Amino acid sequence: MNEKKKDLAFFVGMALLSIICLAPIAIVLINSFKGQFFISSSPFSLPDAKTFAGLSNYLGGVGKIGFWKAFGYSCFITVFSVCAIVLLTSMTAWMITRVKSKLSKGLYYAFVFSMIVPFQMVMFTMSKIANMLNIDNPIGIILIYVGFGSGLSIFLFSGFIKSIPVDIEEAAMIDGCSPIRIFFSVIFPILKPISITVAILNTMWIWNDYLLPNLVIGSNYRTIPIAIQYLQGGYGSRDMGALMAMLILAIIPVIILYLVCQKYIIKGVMSGAVKG
Amino acid sequence: MAQIIFENVTKIYPNNVKVIENLNLHFEDKEFIVLLGPSGCGKSTILRMIAGLESITSGKLFIGQKIVNDVAPKDRDIAMVFQSYALYPHMSVYKNMAFSLMIKKMPKEEIDKKVKNVAKILELTPFLDRKPNALSGGQRQRVALGRAMVRNPSVFLLDEPLSNLDAKLRTSMRKQISLLHKQLQTTFVYVTHDQTEAMTMADRIVVIKQGQIQQFDKPQVLYDKPANIFVAGFVGSPAMNFIEGELVCKDGKFWCVNENLTIDLTKIKCADKLPNLKDKKIIFGIRPEDISLSAADQKDGETFKASVLIAERTGAEVYLHLVVSNCEINSRVGSNADVKFGDKIYVKFDISKAHLFDSATGKAI
Repeated sequence: MNEKKKDLAFFVGMALLSIICLAPIAIVLINSFKGQFFISSSPFSLPDAKTFAGLSNYLGGVGKIGFWKAFGYSCFITVFSVCAIVLLTSMTAWMITRVKSKLSKGLYYAFVFSMIVPFQMVMFTMSKIANMLNIDNPIGIILIYVGFGSGLSIFLFSGFIKSIPVDIEEAAMIDGCSPIRIFFSVIFPILKPISITVAILNTMWIWNDYLLPNLVIGSNYRTIPIAIQYLQGGYGSRDMGALMAMLILAIIPVIILYLVCQKYIIKGVMSGAVKG
Repeated sequence: MAQIIFENVTKIYPNNVKVIENLNLHFEDKEFIVLLGPSGCGKSTILRMIAGLESITSGKLFIGQKIVNDVAPKDRDIAMVFQSYALYPHMSVYKNMAFSLMIKKMPKEEIDKKVKNVAKILELTPFLDRKPNALSGGQRQRVALGRAMVRNPSVFLLDEPLSNLDAKLRTSMRKQISLLHKQLQTTFVYVTHDQTEAMTMADRIVVIKQGQIQQFDKPQVLYDKPANIFVAGFVGSPAMNFIEGELVCKDGKFWCVNENLTIDLTKIKCADKLPNLKDKKIIFGIRPEDISLSAADQKDGETFKASVLIAERTGAEVYLHLVVSNCEINSRVGSNADVKFGDKIYVKFDISKAHLFDSATGKAI
């Protein structure tokens, strides 16, 4: 009986926590279908015949902020950054893990250390350097994302690679593979779960990132978070309906990606932890 | 021709650990060689040097007529079976076996023919589409063998391939590997710490201890004429019994004497060498099967009173753990022996089959 009560209390606690977590998203979703004047007067009520605005917020928002252009920039930067991060950091982690030398050990700790440096600490010098090197454009920002994303990605890849027996690579070597072929034919396919984890984590970060693109590529190439910010306007002229609608559109791709690949996240994060 | 020759080969690891020093070995073409020794003795290093996975610090290694010190593993015409199988987990059994041939850019039809032929020999045909994680240990081992076989190499290297299998499967795989060697007619180099595997499969065995070769000979020679106390103790199960003592000459006879036992050495094989070794510390060695039960004390310096510590019945025979005058010894007798814990019995040493070792050097006398 006592156990049952405990289970019930746990269930209620977790349900409340879920509601608290999901409430902001639900409120944004509800309000995205309301006329903008009703959003501030009754933000928590469901849309009714009077307040329901249909898809006008969505259609209006898409036009106002140039959503599809911003979507294009966001997609371009996210897809190419994530591909570059996965490819380059997996190779780096393989080298760092397999080559036993002071240099590789030093590199590993340098990458891990980079994870704990707050972005705010380097953002101004970094944007200045990006400007000086003329990489303050959608292609250049990919390089910067590779740099910022490499710490966590190398850490995750290294943990996974340690669990792959070296015998497999030696067998491939005897089978006639060159190091490049060993990586692409043998190691990279084995890294699939952790690659998906790294890809998802980086996608969520890069897709939603506001500060870095704002500092580096600014208003010339607006990504979705920057474009949405322009709906805030000045002197209180914010279009809350369109803002809510665009926020919903912005999170849809990440949610889909997460739902499709979520099982790999746990698998990937856990897999390096214990010897398989 | 795939003879393998080590000429003064030394291997020193970067942390200055000398694993192999001045190794000289000659494996003939088509021989089944077993490298036998305890963990960490350097046997796997020797195998990995043949494979090209470990560099050679100094000396020369020949495969066939060619020095291969600086030849890449893929160009040595070898195939290796690893202890962990080292199968590619993301590939099917078929692809695992075909991978090396695909890299060689062999025509697809030829690859298909070779893989299917080997799969048939190893009874892997029903599993060709499966991934390694859907196979049992024995099946994985056969895939690892198959992957090596399709390459048709001139040297097969096997690094403790049976150690992850259960006892029954190990016996059947042992037979399969021996048959494979007969069929393929290539040089096999097999690493193990299991002396039973070594004795049952090898044409010749290299016994290694701390990077040094202790003896390199046919299994029966190793068993009958061990070069030193290490080989004598390592080869044979249960292991040889050792009794330390002093070589004493009394009444015109030679005896192995310690505070508990006096053993008459008159019938020993090396009796002619004993006069030169008078009063020397020696170790008397006798195999368990050369100790038999005796009806009574014959007071001949070969029969001794013993108490039974444990009698282990295996069905076909009985392993007796005995205490003979404070010395613990093992004996192997027929299953009809009626002995149990605590029994006081008499045992007779077959001195003609016993061995003597120099206590100082450990070498056989």
